[in-house]
Amino acid sequence: MQKYEKISITKDEVVPVAQKMRADGVHLAMIHAFLDDDGTPDVSYEYDIDGGICSYTVRGEKVLPSISGIYDLGAEWPEREIMELMDITFEGCDTSERLFMPDSMLDGQGQILVTPMDELIKKAHGEEE
Amino acid sequence: MSYIVPIGPYHPALEEPVHARLYTDGEEITDAKVFIGYNHRGIEKLCMQKNYIQTLVLVERVCGICSHSHAFSYAMALESIAQMEVPKRGQYIRVIIAELERLHSHYLWLGIALHIIGHDSLFMHTWDDREAIMDILEEITGNRVNYGMITVGGARRDISDDTRKHVLEMLDKIERSMIRLKDILLTDKTVALRTQGVGVLTTEDAIRIGAVGPHARASNLAVDVRIDAPYSSYDDFEFEKAVYPSCDVFSRVVIRVLENFESIKIIRQALDMLPKGKINLGTKIPHIPAGEYMVRHEAPRGQLTYKVVSDGGKFNKRVSIHVPTFKNAPTVPTMLKGNSVADAGLIIASIDPCFSCMDR
Repeated sequence: MQKYEKISITKDEVVPVAQKMRADGVHLAMIHAFLDDDGTPDVSYEYDIDGGICSYTVRGEKVLPSISGIYDLGAEWPEREIMELMDITFEGCDTSERLFMPDSMLDGQGQILVTPMDELIKKAHGEEE
Repeated sequence: MSYIVPIGPYHPALEEPVHARLYTDGEEITDAKVFIGYNHRGIEKLCMQKNYIQTLVLVERVCGICSHSHAFSYAMALESIAQMEVPKRGQYIRVIIAELERLHSHYLWLGIALHIIGHDSLFMHTWDDREAIMDILEEITGNRVNYGMITVGGARRDISDDTRKHVLEMLDKIERSMIRLKDILLTDKTVALRTQGVGVLTTEDAIRIGAVGPHARASNLAVDVRIDAPYSSYDDFEFEKAVYPSCDVFSRVVIRVLENFESIKIIRQALDMLPKGKINLGTKIPHIPAGEYMVRHEAPRGQLTYKVVSDGGKFNKRVSIHVPTFKNAPTVPTMLKGNSVADAGLIIASIDPCFSCMDR
């Protein structure tokens, strides 16, 4: 069984932990985020230390500092994905464009027009205005 | 003259939807951006409405190539939370299927890469060999894509002595063929002209961005979850991390060939040492206590991570899936810079992307 350890940290410890890990040559395996049923966010920075995962977890913070300046795109992509799918913000992360489908796709400027599911359902039921 | 060249999301050269924006100066790519999410199916959300056995069926459908890897990883996460000890025979069967899956995935990629570079005779040759692997997978599991071989606590089907013999015969056949293919790939001028020095990702960039799997190993970065963080019964077998130093598309071709030999080695050992006994702990819906675990599996394209949270109930509380393409796709803009537009398709394909997997 692979090793997995969960360590609680505060928002202020996110960047110092990432800086130490980067300096030690530790690979950032992933950043995970969950929203509890009451909307409380749970963000975990999963570091691969000697083959085991150390999960540094911040709970209850909707705004966190970005570590994309430390782990580059390896952190930027997970942070952008989390920001676009959940109500969590990473301050300092590039948000000039969406990662999950650029905005231009939503208004049909690109090669594809994406229609939200609720609008498709309305159209299917003849409720289009 | 500067142009912005869009590729995708739907394009004849792409099997799956992705959008890349190439910023060019004449024929040369000066910058690039990649956009994903066109095949987002909300699978993680769906997992929260399924019991553990139903979820196994669902996660196997995240990907049409590495389907076993998803079920394998999800089951390992549950077994880790519940502290289950999977019977050794079940573990070996899981490894055999995982390595057969790696073989057919690498053959598939080699075929596609050869087709893109215009070497269609070798493309057909590799896919012909791949058929032999698919046939064996069908004989063992009854299916060619979604094998349904995993249950929580072991494997769902055993491997008979006859099938074991057929697998060994197939391995002998494709090994002979792979030796020939290796010689051709390493010496063929067409392959060399289209791949050497193209789409370079230096070791430093691979570390900086966090590349994984064969893509990282082709940048001379020796990372392999099967060896670095052994799971199931991988530490019972002798095999090596295949690394290659040229860091270009050619290196990615060579790595897949070398890894095929290592997979053949693992399957032979697993079949030789296949322990007797049970293959699973029963097929009833298991009780998973409250807890959480993150597991990593070396899927054909690299490190696949599954994080599962359980509240002790019948359904998953949370499931988070991140596939190797999510770690490797951010390297694409770095690889594209300085190359010609004509090579963009090959460079994007060289990470062996699975965008449907990534969008999940």
